[in-house]
Amino acid sequence: MIEKIKGFYATHGQASWNTILIALLVLEFVVFGMANDRFLRPALLFTSINDNLPTFMLSLFVTLIMVTGGIDIQVSSLVGLTSITIGVAWQDFGLPIWGAVGLAFVLVTLCGALSGFLIAYCRVQAMVVTLGGSFLFSGMALLVSTLSKTESYLGISGFPEDFRFVGTYDVGGVIPIQIFIYALMLVVAFILLHKTKYGRKIFLTGVNQSAAEYSGINTRRVIMSTYILSAIAAAIAGTVTTAYLGTSRSDLGGDLTMDIITAVVLGGTLSTGGKGSIVGTALASFLIAFLRFGLPLCFKISTQYLDIPVGILLVAVIVGRSAAGVGGFGPWLRSLLPGKGSDKARSVSK
Amino acid sequence: MQIVKKLLHARGLTSLLFLIALFVIVGIINPSFLSPSNIAACFNTSVVYTLVAVGMAFTLFTGNLDVSIGSNLGLVAAVVGSMLRDGQPLMLAVLVGLLIGAVIGLVNAWGVAVMGAPALIFTLGVNGILRGIMYVYTNGAWVENLPKEFKDFSSVTAVGDLTVYYCVTILAVVGIHFLLTRTRRGRYFQAVGDNDQGATLVGLPTLQTKVLAYVICGVMAAIAGIIFASRIGFVTPQSGDGYEMKAIAACVLGGVSLLGGVGTVLGSAIGAVIMASISYLLVFMGFSSNYDNAITGVILIVIVVADALIQHRSMVKNRRARLMARVSQDDAADAGAEKGGDAK
Repeated sequence: MIEKIKGFYATHGQASWNTILIALLVLEFVVFGMANDRFLRPALLFTSINDNLPTFMLSLFVTLIMVTGGIDIQVSSLVGLTSITIGVAWQDFGLPIWGAVGLAFVLVTLCGALSGFLIAYCRVQAMVVTLGGSFLFSGMALLVSTLSKTESYLGISGFPEDFRFVGTYDVGGVIPIQIFIYALMLVVAFILLHKTKYGRKIFLTGVNQSAAEYSGINTRRVIMSTYILSAIAAAIAGTVTTAYLGTSRSDLGGDLTMDIITAVVLGGTLSTGGKGSIVGTALASFLIAFLRFGLPLCFKISTQYLDIPVGILLVAVIVGRSAAGVGGFGPWLRSLLPGKGSDKARSVSK
Repeated sequence: MQIVKKLLHARGLTSLLFLIALFVIVGIINPSFLSPSNIAACFNTSVVYTLVAVGMAFTLFTGNLDVSIGSNLGLVAAVVGSMLRDGQPLMLAVLVGLLIGAVIGLVNAWGVAVMGAPALIFTLGVNGILRGIMYVYTNGAWVENLPKEFKDFSSVTAVGDLTVYYCVTILAVVGIHFLLTRTRRGRYFQAVGDNDQGATLVGLPTLQTKVLAYVICGVMAAIAGIIFASRIGFVTPQSGDGYEMKAIAACVLGGVSLLGGVGTVLGSAIGAVIMASISYLLVFMGFSSNYDNAITGVILIVIVVADALIQHRSMVKNRRARLMARVSQDDAADAGAEKGGDAK
């Protein structure tokens, strides 16, 4: 019997976890919807999605990094760098707006490549490099903003209509266009991680880098590429947010790190690498976003307090999962069943 | 020769040399910097960083990490500040502050050491919770009107232009350094960080050591919070935000490895001075403080990358030396066997 359950969770661990995430999402909708029916208005919902779009987009590709066993705490600073580069290149360097966007993409991708190179080829810990990167790139964003004649706290605004289109156009008058951009990124990330050879390489690198190396995978290139992908995601997020808000600021996305990591971890990705799911990340990021949106709207909780529930969510998930000894919700359930003792004995003897 | 080799291996010393070089370079560019009061100011401003960095060093030694110290510092500063503002005795306020720090340390220790959650993620969550609690506690308002004596004490000097705070802190750090390197209990921290299972097998109290490291880190952050309130004179709801990253950066600059087991608290204290002086030094070099973050990032990345490359090279060299030794040994053994055969 136990063996059967074990077998079920071994194959369905992520699926059952995703079911739980969906159930929680539905619960959120029911509770918030009952507390305040304004929560269910499409216009408001889409606004809340728009506000959280950088977190959604970034957490997708940070998942790839965490599956390789790395971590990225610099992506949020790249959002601000993208935004301010677009603004300064367009307003002060006189580039056409799409030229400015291209410049920002190239710059930010290079930033991601730099960190990825240092992590993969110089064997520096991802945590340290991206910590340095978060200082460096937010500092660079600040320096870029001083190149402008506009005071940095004002932000650069007045972008042409065809650029604002990316962030303000509503398809069919209802659905904002950037949700389609996000959906596209979701599909790309899903296919990359779960349906391609490249995705298998990412997983194997995370499970055991030496084994992956010996089986002929260029693990360094795989690791570096994940950081480049996440930087590109940051560039997209920065562009869309700039278009949506209509101003370019150097401090955009400054404090997203906790939300991004919470989304990835809550989504079922193992922080030590080797296990993860794009769908889980996407669901978890929605869960957090609606929590942040629903609590103030329906229960009049000040937005400044919202770090408490998100933090508790993160801590509870990570402790629950560690208590289980292995990643995923399934093994945790299993550990509640009899037979827990033998499990423990095995993990100690390992 | 032995001594030279030993000195080269002491990463703390490299960072001290780096700090001196930094001062000399700034002094060459702008001679007016090289006055006792300016150099003392660099050390004095670093006191909060030094405290959090030394606390962080303890968790790093054991192979863990604590990114909740930023909110810990802010929360303690707000609580102690508001208690003093409301006329509570100083001793009581300080005691409550230290208690909060210790409790936060215990919570982190429970999550990371007992439950085995990844340190970065668990303490990141705790950081968010504490920041929220701080908003609840202060209602989003600033804590102002701290007693004048409490604020003025931060500028009382002990030796030359160095404040009492810095002198006491640095004496304490030197004391801690000797406790860590010269006592059996002190060596446990790095032993646990260097090889957790090995430490368990030889009978060290690994769990107790990890818990102790987190509690020390929490208490250090609490002390830093009290001194922060005294030095700055007011506490905003964002106070302390980002100190956790600066503390890690200071430790890394001072030669403490994030993998655990390597480094000294003196090194992290020197790293803290470097971190704190960068914005001050920039002013003397004629740059605006806008360069602060960018330069911090560059220094951090350059130092860790250089460190990693040097370590990797020495590892490869050692491995080759071992291999060569084995090969020559095998040769010798073969030769010996042949000789023996001939003799027969």
